[in-house]
Amino acid sequence: MKMVNIRSRMLLAALLPVTLIAVLLTGVFLAVRFGDIDEAHSQRARSLARQLAMASEYGLFSDNITHLQTIANGALREPAVRSVTIVDAQGQILAIAGKPAYITPPALTRQEDEKLDPSTHTNLLLQPIVESQVKLDDLFEGKATDAAAQPQLLGHVLIEFSRDTLLQRERDMLLTGVAITFGGLLFGGFLAVYLGRGVIRPILRVSSMIERIGHGELSARGEVLPDDPLRDVQQGLNQMAERLESGRDELEQRIAMATLELREKKEEAETATLAKSRFLAAASHDLRQPTHALGMFVARLAQLPHDAQTRRLIENLEASVRATQDLLDGLLDISRLDAQAVQVQLRPFALAELFEQLRGGLTLTAVEKGLRLRVRPTGVWLMSDPTLLHRILLNLVVNALRYTREGSVLLACRMAGDGKHARIEVWDSGIGIAPEHHQAIFKEFYQVANAERDRGKGLGLGLNIVERTAQLLGHRLQLRSRLGLGTRFSVQVPLAPLGTALDMPSPFDVKTFHNLAGRVVLVIEDDALAREGLVSLLESWDVRVGVAEGLSTALWHLKKGLVPDVIVSDYRLRDGENGIDVIRQLRVATGRSISACLMSGDTDPNLMQAARDAGLTLLHKPVRPAKLRSLVRRLAADPQADGIDLV
Amino acid sequence: MLVRLRFLIFSLWLGAFAGACAHAATTVVIVSSERSAAYVEAAEALISELERGGLSRYDMLQLTALELSSAGPLTPKLFVALGMEAANALAKAEPRAPVLCTLLPHSSFERVLYGSGRKSSSQFSALYLNQPLSRQLELIRLALPAARRIGVLWGPESQVHATALKALAQAGGLELVEATVGRDESLFTSLKKVLQDADLLLAVVDPQLYNSSSIQNILLASFRAKVPMVAFSPAYVRAGALLALYVTPTQIGRQAAAITRGVLQGKALSATPLYSQEYSVAVNEHVARSLGLNLDADALRERLQSREGTP
Repeated sequence: MKMVNIRSRMLLAALLPVTLIAVLLTGVFLAVRFGDIDEAHSQRARSLARQLAMASEYGLFSDNITHLQTIANGALREPAVRSVTIVDAQGQILAIAGKPAYITPPALTRQEDEKLDPSTHTNLLLQPIVESQVKLDDLFEGKATDAAAQPQLLGHVLIEFSRDTLLQRERDMLLTGVAITFGGLLFGGFLAVYLGRGVIRPILRVSSMIERIGHGELSARGEVLPDDPLRDVQQGLNQMAERLESGRDELEQRIAMATLELREKKEEAETATLAKSRFLAAASHDLRQPTHALGMFVARLAQLPHDAQTRRLIENLEASVRATQDLLDGLLDISRLDAQAVQVQLRPFALAELFEQLRGGLTLTAVEKGLRLRVRPTGVWLMSDPTLLHRILLNLVVNALRYTREGSVLLACRMAGDGKHARIEVWDSGIGIAPEHHQAIFKEFYQVANAERDRGKGLGLGLNIVERTAQLLGHRLQLRSRLGLGTRFSVQVPLAPLGTALDMPSPFDVKTFHNLAGRVVLVIEDDALAREGLVSLLESWDVRVGVAEGLSTALWHLKKGLVPDVIVSDYRLRDGENGIDVIRQLRVATGRSISACLMSGDTDPNLMQAARDAGLTLLHKPVRPAKLRSLVRRLAADPQADGIDLV
Repeated sequence: MLVRLRFLIFSLWLGAFAGACAHAATTVVIVSSERSAAYVEAAEALISELERGGLSRYDMLQLTALELSSAGPLTPKLFVALGMEAANALAKAEPRAPVLCTLLPHSSFERVLYGSGRKSSSQFSALYLNQPLSRQLELIRLALPAARRIGVLWGPESQVHATALKALAQAGGLELVEATVGRDESLFTSLKKVLQDADLLLAVVDPQLYNSSSIQNILLASFRAKVPMVAFSPAYVRAGALLALYVTPTQIGRQAAAITRGVLQGKALSATPLYSQEYSVAVNEHVARSLGLNLDADALRERLQSREGTP
């Protein structure tokens, strides 16, 4: 298209003037020539007619018809003469040669006349024949004689000329003119194309090169020819392409270098994170064991009779242990979320049960702080993971209780505007959160106004867990708060589809209370301190306890006739043994599926997954005595319940 | 320019004054048909000849035919009319003096007489421009001695001379080949007949036959028939006639002066019109050569004059 455009324009520019000039010249010259030919024709015709008239004068005077006929015949031999007729003054035809196109001769006067007959392409010339005048002296003639007044009309010559030859000549001339014009045009066109090629080709070459560069092909180069009219352009273009190419290469190199640096930095950072995680995991594991044992001991200690002063000390001790356990639980949750080890299991359930559970678990805490926890009854069914949602609400309510000095905390559920969601709200009349902190409070270990990191104010992990869990569930978390005017957190949860079976068993069904007295629990724990703490706690619940350090000891117990209702095993044991294998082997050895649970200070996601795969409940150290008691009670009562992850 | 105009007006006034004064003393009134070259030449010759004879220029009044009617009563001793129109005008004007008509051929004078109902008399006579037929025949005899048969075409005006010519020819031993052309007849038929038998064609003054239009064809026809033409005017010789016997205007003027002098001396005008005694001969040498003749105009004239015994 572009090529055609340039070509045709060049051709037009070259041919238009040539055409105009050629046509104009041809037209003008032909017109002039036609005029000349016509004039020459009529002059020749008239002069022939006059000659004939003069020649016929004597013939007419002497009435010599033979003479006249000879003249007429002679005239007929002239080219283009079709007929010659000589008539006398009376119009009588005296001599005729050729075949006249007219039937009746036209009116004859003393004037020369010419008549054109377009149908037969003939000119009819009328030439009067008069006596030629010879000047004589008038003395003898006398003016009165009328004979001398006007020369006598002797007759007429009628001569017909064919215009065919004329027209033929004009046609030939026209053809020649047209042929010359066309020849000129052809030659001009050829010349324009030939010369234009010298200009068009470089233009096309340059434009195609520009196109290639435009498509990113920077390696394109055009040949620089010495006789190229666009040589400078071509050179400039080549330079440009070179610069572009080198610039691009340089840029790419720099980008590659930067990328490499970034990757290195990233790897460094990842390594650092990994190291931190590892350190954190190791530290938390190492912390868990003693804290675990401490919890057990304190629980056991609290069961003993003490005076009031000691009791208060023990209470403080319990609080400290609980705080440590909370911290470790929070860290565990974070690490599980980090590891993406939390599996979301959506299902319909009644919110009322969750509310009831929270109320039961936290009313005491509220009362202790002099606050009122109000839980508004609700009948909605939600579609969510009840365990994860419980954790979110627990954290929120605990947070609310923590930051409220007086007044109340309200837990309520409302229908959202769209009719498909319920909004669970936690209100408090607490200190509120300034707007500038609204974003930051969801960060790990962030606490507003707790620079001194008072343990009683929590650890700053709660909201982070809340946010991440809500994100995991796809629930929208909202915060509305103003400093000094309380805070409202709300979680938007989809409603369960209508028609959901209302009789689905709730995982939070309060089990019938089973007394643990007389139950047999096999404890497998390699760490002496932890083992002792756990055993003393279990024994305080009137449970018969078999203690093993590993598989062999456990098997020995079995051999000794111990029939455990529940196996509680540490995961990581001595000599590369692990709790899952030990439990399996014990089950194999006894030939029955003994209820079992795992305990571990590890927060390794693989371990969690392995426990899940094995169908074992994994309790993270430090294990709360209450939780352990509840689990053992449940496992002892229902051997199939070990698949439920209570954590 | 202005000076010239003033001078012109002055001279006109002078002329008119002189003319008015001369009326009483005028002896000769010269009336010209027109003021063309031939008339002026004739008038000049006449006047200078009269002056040479002692007459004053103031004794002569020169008018054109048109001026004559407004000139008032004139009482000269003689009117000289130059040309046919002047003759006509004088013929109608009842002049109180004799009228000499000249510079006109015989046929024209006849027409004037016919038109005015006059007869040639001593009061109204003429000096012919043409030459007498006898002299013409004489010239023919001199120039073309071998020619015996003279061809003549007679027209309405010239036919009156037919008898005279016949007599003359017979007297001279010549034979006439005649033909008469009627008023509306074709000239050529008669011409052809004449040319067939004649040795030469003698043209006579008759404008109906010989005029500017017809002369070429007549000459052509005669040339084709190898019959030379003998004419009455040098113009015919220029057009192709072999010979012409004629009188020049100067000769006429001189002759008229001689007659005028006679009248002034008391002689009466000749009642019969006169032919000029002076004449000239013209020869077309080309035609003569083509006919194998060697003619010399002056020699012919001299021989003619010596044969007639006139000066």
